[in-house]
Amino acid sequence: MNFVLTEEQQLIQDSVARFIQENYSLEQRQEIAATSPGFSEAHWQTMAELGWLSLTLPGDFEGFDGNQIDTMLIMEQFGKGLVLEPYLANNVLGTRVLLDGGTDEVKKDLIPRIAAGEAQLTLGYAEEQAGYDLHDVVTRAQREGDGFTVNGRKSMVLHAATADYIIISTRTSGGQADKEGITLFLLDPSLEGVTVTGFPTVDGLQAAEVELNNVTIPADAILGEEGAGFGILQAAAIDGILAICAEAVGAMEILYKDTVEYTQEREQFDHPLSDFQVLQHRMVDMFMEYEQCKSLLYRATLEVVQQGADAIRTVHALKHFVGKTGIMIGENAVQLHGGMGMTEELRVGHYFKRLLVIDAQFGNADYHLQQFAA
Amino acid sequence: MDIDLSPEDLAFQDEVRSFLADNAYRNGDDYNKWRLNWFDLAQDKGGWDVPKWPVEFGGPGWTPTQHYIWEKETATAQVPWDLPFGLSMLAPVLMNYGSEEQQKRFLPDIRARKVNWCQGYSEPGAGSDLANLKTRAEISEDGTHYVVNGTKIWTTLAHIADWIFCLTRTDDSGKKQEGITFLLFPMKQEGVEVKPIITLGGAHSVNMVHFTDVKVPVENRVGEEHKGWTYAKGLLQHERTGLAGISRSIVALAKLKEQAESVKRGNGSLMDDPAFRSKVAELEVDLMAAEFTELRSLAAAAGGNDPGPESSILKLKGTEIQQRIQKLTVEAGGIYSAAWGPLPVGPGFARGGMSGYLASRAYTIYGGASEVQKDVIAKNVLGIKTGGNS
Repeated sequence: MNFVLTEEQQLIQDSVARFIQENYSLEQRQEIAATSPGFSEAHWQTMAELGWLSLTLPGDFEGFDGNQIDTMLIMEQFGKGLVLEPYLANNVLGTRVLLDGGTDEVKKDLIPRIAAGEAQLTLGYAEEQAGYDLHDVVTRAQREGDGFTVNGRKSMVLHAATADYIIISTRTSGGQADKEGITLFLLDPSLEGVTVTGFPTVDGLQAAEVELNNVTIPADAILGEEGAGFGILQAAAIDGILAICAEAVGAMEILYKDTVEYTQEREQFDHPLSDFQVLQHRMVDMFMEYEQCKSLLYRATLEVVQQGADAIRTVHALKHFVGKTGIMIGENAVQLHGGMGMTEELRVGHYFKRLLVIDAQFGNADYHLQQFAA
Repeated sequence: MDIDLSPEDLAFQDEVRSFLADNAYRNGDDYNKWRLNWFDLAQDKGGWDVPKWPVEFGGPGWTPTQHYIWEKETATAQVPWDLPFGLSMLAPVLMNYGSEEQQKRFLPDIRARKVNWCQGYSEPGAGSDLANLKTRAEISEDGTHYVVNGTKIWTTLAHIADWIFCLTRTDDSGKKQEGITFLLFPMKQEGVEVKPIITLGGAHSVNMVHFTDVKVPVENRVGEEHKGWTYAKGLLQHERTGLAGISRSIVALAKLKEQAESVKRGNGSLMDDPAFRSKVAELEVDLMAAEFTELRSLAAAAGGNDPGPESSILKLKGTEIQQRIQKLTVEAGGIYSAAWGPLPVGPGFARGGMSGYLASRAYTIYGGASEVQKDVIAKNVLGIKTGGNS
């Protein structure tokens, strides 16, 4: 057992941390968030140049063969800056499905462009009626001639309005919630019948509703086997969960540290707030739960990387705990900052909002506790 | 003790219900006209426009049970918007400590909803520690007016208020609580500058207010110079009782259940989800208790006294309950609770759910933070003596 980073991993972590330090003050971030497309093209190119976009791509395609541990290191630092670039959508979710389901031909075409920051993917996995079940899919793909006709709607698709390709889950057979009969397609959003309606999310990021109205998709756009998309989808969701949980851990660190600092500066009743024991204990709780999150993050990430028998269960435990703890730490950070914590001017509120969204992605705390106990 | 309503109370309940039904807003009505007319009609009922005012100032003189019935019925009916600042906060201070002249000058306009007031209490350095305020009021040499300089923060609706009741420092030689003076002055005048503060849900309701050499005639001082803290304290207890919002929470919880029932989960709805269901049930139990705690406090205050330190219990419990309802609304919104901006996406309540939840985080901060409320209970109710800091 060993929790020490390799030299390469340490270098990545340091370089991401430096990038955040230099480019992601709250002012810088809010400026980027307010302008179209809601992230910085220049930062995206920097990320490509620094190799972050090819970190987990296979060596055969000039990638670095990285795994979820590398993604964790990047995402944890991203969480400290509330990074706006579509790393999760493209490099975690989209790329994972492409690698697991794409033919060599598709990979040869797309992967170099992804590495160069020239093509962006995203994954449309959610639907309104589904709650948090990935296998509840009513968007239908019907075979017609050489291709498929697709009708339905994918919900809250991250960064879909700026993506070059949207990977969608569809039902080609079986009942609404069957795990069999789900087929994934690499959708070109410029096809006729595709309407992508983008909007911001409360955390300052971007999402979209993707309407599919009699869209004709060629059969070679299928990723994986027809009807066997669920396994691929689930693997991508696990990677997504690990990534956003790492991001959450980064955000929680900022929140508890900012709170400790603020309460030592702010005086009320002729004392710094930090003199009050009730507040000290609250901050100790925030700190302890943050550390517990980090432990579960390491545990789940290592289980997944090493394909442990308990991997999925540990991921459920992690997502439950991060959802619950993120909100606890966020609520207390705001409470202990008093009125100032309620303003857009201070950064704590922004980290809190990101943690709220993370809880609602890929299943909230209740959902994963139930999956864990099942 | 008796839980049933008496025949008289039942008759009162019917009367309230028919008043509310007869005078509900109808589509096409001019809202402002309807609003002011509604208060006129309520006044004609015998002080129903000012339920909490004492009889000698035109209030209805209801029993605690009647107040309870009124709260419950108005929480579900459509009633005109109203602000607490003049009506429930300043008015009792004027009744208890204001001069007869001040009562005659200010109370009728408050009652007629003609003048909007805001509350100049918190300052950048005086939040939970309210008595630490630094806004100065200096008496002029001829003794005819004060000159006010300083900054107030978190001033709710200062941008629409006509007047402010304001705590100022007139002496800092003694204890913090001494040397505070309670002044009234118009907001729309030179030297008063209002700057918006945008809060987490993106809303503008609170402000920063700067005063630069604002002249306030001495006749606008309530009570004695340096004694303002005494008057302000009673007002805070009124504010706290108002913030508990128990009746509103009962309505909100019913709405939450409806919303959760409209959210599909598997073959049923979110209300069939055991975790969600049990959280709703826990809330319901807490509300049942809080409703009776409020009733007990109403009964205790029936003599027209200040609500007393028990009001802190209600503020604490009531605001936590409101926050939990908001939190569950966000959970019910699921993935769509993250959607933001003007586009309608997902179930209708999801958007309002997130902004409501974010706004609700202030409930345990303003009007005396929960931590301070607990200090108040420890000290004044439990009688715990400490060498402590507050």
